[in-house]
Amino acid sequence: MIELKQVTKQYGQAAVLKNITLTIDEPGIYCLLGRNGAGKTTLLKSIAGYQNITSGRIQVGGKVITTSTLDTGVSYIENFAKHFNLPVRKLLRIASEVNPDYDYEFAADMMGRFELDGKKKFNHLSLGMKTMVSTIICLASNKEAVLLDEPVLGFDAIMRVEFYDMLTESFQKHPRVIIVSTHIIEEIAKTIQKLIIIDRGSIRFFDTLQAVETKAFRVSGLEKDVEAATHGLNTIGQDAVGGLVTRYIFDNPPEPAASLEIHPLSLQDFFIQMVGHKGGAAK
Amino acid sequence: MKAVFAVVKRLLASNKISFILTALVVLCATSSGDVVLSNGNYTWLLAVLTPFFFVFYDFSKLMHLGASKKDYFVGCLISYAFLAFCISLVNTIVHLLIDPLYPARTVINLMDVCRWTENGILAAGLQQMCFLLLVMVFLHVLLSMQAHWYGWLTDAVLVAIICIFTPIAPLRSVLAGFFQIIMLNGSAPLHIGVCLLLSAALSLGGLVVLKRKTL
Repeated sequence: MIELKQVTKQYGQAAVLKNITLTIDEPGIYCLLGRNGAGKTTLLKSIAGYQNITSGRIQVGGKVITTSTLDTGVSYIENFAKHFNLPVRKLLRIASEVNPDYDYEFAADMMGRFELDGKKKFNHLSLGMKTMVSTIICLASNKEAVLLDEPVLGFDAIMRVEFYDMLTESFQKHPRVIIVSTHIIEEIAKTIQKLIIIDRGSIRFFDTLQAVETKAFRVSGLEKDVEAATHGLNTIGQDAVGGLVTRYIFDNPPEPAASLEIHPLSLQDFFIQMVGHKGGAAK
Repeated sequence: MKAVFAVVKRLLASNKISFILTALVVLCATSSGDVVLSNGNYTWLLAVLTPFFFVFYDFSKLMHLGASKKDYFVGCLISYAFLAFCISLVNTIVHLLIDPLYPARTVINLMDVCRWTENGILAAGLQQMCFLLLVMVFLHVLLSMQAHWYGWLTDAVLVAIICIFTPIAPLRSVLAGFFQIIMLNGSAPLHIGVCLLLSAALSLGGLVVLKRKTL
């Protein structure tokens, strides 16, 4: 459905996307994780045909995507997207008129659920509500691929929970590729099927959440014991305090031993280990 | 086509400022002396203002609502044609009904200046419509290019052509000849043909620019 082949995007001398090859071939809700400036927005905008890539090829539903693609079949929304300053209900109605695939019923239902005042003009809404309107428009678009760039920015905790429910409902109604970029990792874990981690313009991880749950571990103990237990395993990070060492592995778990503490990694810890340590020193 | 007409509706609805400004100027403009300008001339202001809104205001918002670039492009062309027709109709009505109300004075309407009325009022209206369509498409393409280096280059080339061609007599006649063909043209078929051909060519150019347009 979405295929990226050796995609590189440069701004002058700076490469924001570096030779990315990625295939998303089944419908699902995918979470795109990455630090600030990792290239998430550039990647999503490129898939949406909002900007051109420097080299490589992007295809969505077999259609090559560039700015020249007059009808991409992709819906992308960023959190500060500007809309016509019209009442929310009218805005949703216009969206249904300009896009033949639009699901107005879903949009109207979501407007009610999020207690959006249909008579209130877009510019008079709070940041969270504006983002919600943009997100509803994007999800209701029913395009082949839906790309949401940091949709929960400005949402309170209740709105976030509602948003995750909305995402699931929308997907169940119309299974398609939905990619959500976010920084709030743990919350979205229940909603998504696959995880994409991007770091410094390269894809560091693309697999199911189940893979993280079954293969990501933290092994702690004396240095020699940890070394022996994790020898030959895929180590993604290491911390050392005095003689104690903690190794983060993404592999089959080592054999349990009395001298070792083996714990599964949380999604957030896994992400941190994949893209760099908390102190900022990237691997 | 339903989506295209929805785009047209939205483009026209969000063009209120242009309509209001044009209406104000048309209604409030006054002239003194024996020779006065027809107020209908000021309806042309709408043709100048509209592309600014279509290009700089509507494009990104329509894209965010899920419209396709194709529908936006076709929608703009239909809107320009519709507006060209309306402007031409209003100015023709003003020329027929309001301008004769100044019997003691000479009223200058651009339809006369451009010699379109020599072909009868219907042909004049049609010529005016085609000319206004050309103006709007030209402005649309020029404004769409402003985000790119070739837009600035085009601006520079246009300014250079006017600055160089105006003072040098042989070049001036070339420039004058061009304007005589696209504007001050007494031959209705030639004028309409040239305007439509140029509009079509510029539209194709506009499509190329749109294909490079980022968000």
